Amino acid sequence: MTEETQVTPAPQHDAKRETRAVAIGLAGWILPGLGHALQKMWGRAAACFLTVAALVVIGAGMRGNLFTSDGGDAFASLGYLADLGAGSFYLLARSLETHGPDVSHADGDYGTRFLAVAGVLNLLAALHAYEAARGRKA
Amino acid sequence: MNLQLSHFQAMLLFALAISVAFGFLSRRPTLERVKYIVWSLFLFLLIGIGIGWAMYPLSR
Repeated sequence: MTEETQVTPAPQHDAKRETRAVAIGLAGWILPGLGHALQKMWGRAAACFLTVAALVVIGAGMRGNLFTSDGGDAFASLGYLADLGAGSFYLLARSLETHGPDVSHADGDYGTRFLAVAGVLNLLAALHAYEAARGRKA
Repeated sequence: MNLQLSHFQAMLLFALAISVAFGFLSRRPTLERVKYIVWSLFLFLLIGIGIGWAMYPLSR
């Protein structure tokens, strides 16, 4: 018969781990893939970086609308939040869009979606990195 | 920078990027990842084209 023992981590250790997890989540948001790279999850780090970068470059190339903080309505604010999710790549998209957005045809409209999805995907990846740092996900 | 893609090319690139990201985030062994990516990409394209065809009569 085996004896089961439960080891409960010390609260101080928990707080340290939580702080590290938050820092990793923030790093993952600022630079896509960095949160996973800090945990030596190289495949996931490369996948996050490359997919978010591809979506941002394609979205900006298609002249999608990159929302700003002075959007007039709720949809523009939500779009801004989604775009901001890409972290530093928001600035990359801004620098790539030298001629500004053009949503007068389908390409620009698709570009807007690409940029928003890049942000939301990066937020998801950052959250995944945070959870992994807390030991909840492999 | 001005990128001009057809509807299908845009959908394909979108589906590929999302499938790869989801595959890497949600699966660990390489084979499982590849299976997930291929299946997800296939469903993206199938559903996208299916919805396109379903809306075709409404475009006239």
